[in-house]
Amino acid sequence: CGVLLTTATFAPPTPALVRSHRATARAAGSGRHRICMVSDFFYPNMGGVESHIYQLSQCLVEQGHKVVIATHAYGDRRGVRYLTRGLKVYYLPLQVMYNQSTSTTCFHSLPLLRCVFVRERITVVHAHSSFSAMAHDALFHAKTMGLNTVFTDHSLFGFADVSSVLTNKLLTVSLCDTNHIICVSYTSKENTVLRAGLDPEIVSVIPNAVDPTEFTPDPGRRDDSKITVVVVSRLVYRKGIDLLGGIIPELCAKHPDLCFLIGGEGPKRIVLEEVREKYQLHDRVRLLGALDHKDVRDVLVQGHIFLNTSLTEAFCMAIVEGASCGLQVVSTCVGGIPEVLPDEMVTLCEPTVRSLCDGLEIVIARQRSGSVPSPASIHRRVETLYTWRNVAERTEKVYNRVSGQEVLSLDRRLTRLTSHCGSVAGAIFAFIAVLNYLFLLLLQWLIPDDVIDIAIDGSGPQSCWTQTSSKKGKRKANQIL
Amino acid sequence: MADDSLTDIYGNRIGVACRCHSDLCREVTVSGPKLSLRSVLVYTCGVWLLAYAAFCCTENTAVLSCAIILTLVGLMVYIHFFKVDHESLLIIGSLGVQLSSSYASGRECTSFIEMSKIKDVVINEAVYMHRVIYYLCILIKDPADPHAVSSVLPLFQSSKPRLKCLIEVYKTCQEILAQS
Repeated sequence: CGVLLTTATFAPPTPALVRSHRATARAAGSGRHRICMVSDFFYPNMGGVESHIYQLSQCLVEQGHKVVIATHAYGDRRGVRYLTRGLKVYYLPLQVMYNQSTSTTCFHSLPLLRCVFVRERITVVHAHSSFSAMAHDALFHAKTMGLNTVFTDHSLFGFADVSSVLTNKLLTVSLCDTNHIICVSYTSKENTVLRAGLDPEIVSVIPNAVDPTEFTPDPGRRDDSKITVVVVSRLVYRKGIDLLGGIIPELCAKHPDLCFLIGGEGPKRIVLEEVREKYQLHDRVRLLGALDHKDVRDVLVQGHIFLNTSLTEAFCMAIVEGASCGLQVVSTCVGGIPEVLPDEMVTLCEPTVRSLCDGLEIVIARQRSGSVPSPASIHRRVETLYTWRNVAERTEKVYNRVSGQEVLSLDRRLTRLTSHCGSVAGAIFAFIAVLNYLFLLLLQWLIPDDVIDIAIDGSGPQSCWTQTSSKKGKRKANQIL
Repeated sequence: MADDSLTDIYGNRIGVACRCHSDLCREVTVSGPKLSLRSVLVYTCGVWLLAYAAFCCTENTAVLSCAIILTLVGLMVYIHFFKVDHESLLIIGSLGVQLSSSYASGRECTSFIEMSKIKDVVINEAVYMHRVIYYLCILIKDPADPHAVSSVLPLFQSSKPRLKCLIEVYKTCQEILAQS
């Protein structure tokens, strides 16, 4: 309570310089934004979030926005790099704690992130993934600096166990004053709204997409003398590998021409190896181990049926990829999966061995009778369902809406924190928000904003990126001088 | 090109002088801020006050003599090895580039790079301390493969001028490099 009293009289936090930056940005931009994507997860790390950020950024750059990405350093990949179309990536030297996520102290990343936001004249900060500490830090700092914020949640969470309770609390604190939140499916939206206690009005649903040119069918690659079921997922509990271990012996006993092709690696691999050992299925169950992203398509096209046994999933990219390669999809009906594909393209089952076996039986029978649509026709349908351009257009609308909103001033932000996040956590984080603001003032005194050089744009309206630029993109200085 | 508005990345004023010896030979000198009396006084006073505090506790005069020697030696080491007064870049077409930095004590360090080893002069970005800055650097050719870069040699490492100044120097260098 003491915290509240001392801070209620605080001056509005938006520093004059940031405000003037943004005023010029709006005047010159005419609907063009300067976006900074922040996440711990980016290439060279591989995964759904990474490719989402990359593809979305590329499409936004194509639309004429300026996009930079900030992530932490991966090994000796640190500093500034350029990707296709002048997409600039900052690999900032922040300490990695656990599972490629940085540690958070709420303060130590402020100097670097402030420098990035100021020199790139960022107007919207877009953070990705609730597992990423750097994303939450960036949201916190951006709000302190008076920038508009957007957050994309890529995962579903529980409510019951201790770790979920804690992360949900953090998410509540982090999202209560964020301008807009994007979820990948309606289930995910519902989940996030409940977890973070948000107003559903500020939560949008924008699904993921696949690159249809990367996942094309190739019926010649599959062996039609038998029926192949493909599974491509990490072999972890969440992906329902225990269910898969129950399905394999049952169906293999019934159908002598059935094969399983399993791509992916993880702690649950042992379950599948045990099953293979116990039922002597070495010739029919092939474990391919970890797959590179580029090899996934080669594995998918070898099968007739794509099986997904996930126990929880916000938006299942894998089944879209499978369908895009022209496979029949059988999946558990959990999380956001029912929203992903139209009913005639996917067979949904309960997450039990019994139900999944029944589902697979139906599809196998259909496959034998030849009454399934051709891979090419399935591909043509999926091609139009999820495209990155569509995702980018919808995200652009979110940016347009957000950039018109005002960022909460410090006093209102503190009121919001204390009223939304409970008395204890609210007070603690209100205190941290004040410290963060004081730290920002200190930094602005040490290195005023006008001493930070404005970066030369790699993308966006004033881009100096050309195809002929040298690999490192530094020669572009030539063109502007 | 002597421009008073040029500053280094900390906002301190720096002087930049460009001398044109001939069409093929230019010299750029960047002089950093002078050693300020205030910072010398602050550091000296700081060390001496600490020494006096220690003296009050221990009542040993050796502490005070130590403090005096420490400040003197510290100052000498600083002006001889760390405080760079000015750095210059002499670029001679078809011959090479000479880099020299002279310290506050008068010591000079000079190195010369042959033109055949230089691939290009570029402006690059780097994370430096808690910020991201632009710097000018020379790309050194790999002797085995003339298209590859074996190392990067940053220029004006102690004065750290801002982008505006770097662009001027970059242009000067490119003019000469284009001729040879």
